[in-house]
Amino acid sequence: MTNLFKKRLGAHLTELLKYLRFVFNDYFVLALVFMIGGLGYYYSNALKQLKTGLWWAPLVIIAVYLMGLQCGRLATMLQDPDYVFLLPREAEMIGYLRRAFNYSALLACLIQLLIWVVLMPFVQVTAGASVPELFGLLATILFLKVTWLNADFARKYHLNHQWLGNRLLFRLVVPVIVLALGVYVNVYVGAGLAAVVMIIGLVSRRSWASRSLDWQTAIADENSRMHSIYQFFNLFTDVPSLNGAIKRRRYFDGLLRLIRLLPKNTYLYLYAHGIVRDSEMSGLFMRLTVIGTLFLIFIKGEALPIILCLLFIYLIGFQMIPFYFHYEDNAFVHIYPITTDHQLQNFQRVLLTMMSIVALIFAIVVIIVNITNPVTVIGVVVCEAVEIGYFVYMYVPRRIRKSEFSR
Amino acid sequence: MALQVSNLVGGYSQVPVLKDVSFDVKDGELVGLIGLNGAGKSTTINHIIGLLTPFKGSIKINDVTINDDVQQYKKQIAYIPEQPIVYKELTLKEHLELTMLAYDLDQKTAWQRADKLLKLFRLDNKLDWFPDNFSKGMRQKVMIVCAFLTDAKLFIIDEPFLGLDPLAVNDLLNLISERKKAGASILMSTHVLDTAQRYCDRFVLLHDGQVRTEGTIEELRQLFPDAGESLNDIYLTLAREGDAS
Repeated sequence: MTNLFKKRLGAHLTELLKYLRFVFNDYFVLALVFMIGGLGYYYSNALKQLKTGLWWAPLVIIAVYLMGLQCGRLATMLQDPDYVFLLPREAEMIGYLRRAFNYSALLACLIQLLIWVVLMPFVQVTAGASVPELFGLLATILFLKVTWLNADFARKYHLNHQWLGNRLLFRLVVPVIVLALGVYVNVYVGAGLAAVVMIIGLVSRRSWASRSLDWQTAIADENSRMHSIYQFFNLFTDVPSLNGAIKRRRYFDGLLRLIRLLPKNTYLYLYAHGIVRDSEMSGLFMRLTVIGTLFLIFIKGEALPIILCLLFIYLIGFQMIPFYFHYEDNAFVHIYPITTDHQLQNFQRVLLTMMSIVALIFAIVVIIVNITNPVTVIGVVVCEAVEIGYFVYMYVPRRIRKSEFSR
Repeated sequence: MALQVSNLVGGYSQVPVLKDVSFDVKDGELVGLIGLNGAGKSTTINHIIGLLTPFKGSIKINDVTINDDVQQYKKQIAYIPEQPIVYKELTLKEHLELTMLAYDLDQKTAWQRADKLLKLFRLDNKLDWFPDNFSKGMRQKVMIVCAFLTDAKLFIIDEPFLGLDPLAVNDLLNLISERKKAGASILMSTHVLDTAQRYCDRFVLLHDGQVRTEGTIEELRQLFPDAGESLNDIYLTLAREGDAS
């Protein structure tokens, strides 16, 4: 079982690494550097305005730690067939899961450490905390995280007393009480309480470790964990194991019916229906459009709104490129008596439509917000048109040819 | 000659699965492709429908190879896979529409045909549903409806009998004989030998990537007089012999 876990962990890390290469592509790294730089600058400026004793500061501290606590789930690396193949060795699974727990705890604690470091100056300024108190807070969130994971662990077993695996209790109720105690009353009291809860949780492990494993919950939990990871990666690349939910979206039928039923439009028909119905794809489109629009509403300036506009249009277009290959795995597109000559053309038409819709929304917002600045008003329209033209007709064909080659 | 496979060597990677396979399907003929799991039935089919490229040998449909004219070649084929393949984003109605689109069928006559087929397989009230959520048998019916919507000259049917209800099996067999009468050819792979024996005109028995023997049931009986009367018996004897040698 130890070997099995090592093997699974190895495979899991290799897979993550494979996707992380896509996440940290050149463009994204650049954007990230700018974003972290900008946020850091904003944060340090904001800190100068703050002083000790603000009424809302403790609430912010509790909220940030609470959200931070939710990062990092129990990674069991269980797979669907395990329920059949590992069933005879169920008694040994505790060893496997314990290793999974240790691995997850280590990872989760590193995340907590990071959050603690980021929030440290804020706590120092607003609460006037001393260094030992800061470490007390660190201990509190680490204890809470271990308790959190332990409850996730308990859930994988058929328990008599459901409260041990109660996620609401250990994810929300206990952390809120402990953090409130730590922030409002005394840091060490909070840390002490967290330690007591953690020790009770860890000791109670004896009471369920010998019980039967709840395979269905365990596998469902792991699948949902992997699904969220894949969803994140899917922002950057096409994840094959991710099957997005399909929504009927009847209100788009009118739009889809505009496609003329000609053989050369076969791919257009497929792409258009796919993008509208696949919630993975349309969700991505909607999310980025809404976020972009919100940004643009609040930003006034000459060049900045235009740059943001272009950035978001680029992001949306870029995320849609992998959809070109969405139907490659379906044997029928290869069996139909159609040529692939029109495939790229069809894809470009869908892309052009989608990007134009976003561009139109963005342009309207930018123009309304910056109506007094004619340079921005004209600039946004011209720049958007140039960008979309270049993206759809120059960049996409090259990019697809490159991906086709490496497939 | 509707389908002519000659000296086909092929497979998925460098190692050939099919070693020199030759057989044909004449106009208006239903040929059964019989063989154990792994004998090469699906590989043969994948070569015929153009998903795989032959290493050696040729495949002709009415004297056209895929390299002569891809569109002309593919236009003649309708394929019903063993595992139904559906688009998860498309409704049943849109599957039919897409098939009409891809095969460039006349909408009006195609819909007349579609309505008849849908009624036959009791799918006519599910036009707005997603076949992706259907049971295997129902999805198989969708595949059948889509295939018989076309004017294909060659139907490739991979194991149609598992998963379909008895009524649907019967309806499918009727459809096949209807198309046969109209001159279309059918190549069908299956493990359900007693049904195959009753409906197929001829059999091609594949074993280990080679054509072990072929012929009508009468011819097979004469070739293997000691093996028994039914296709099942003959096939079992052959398969055991093949393993022993």
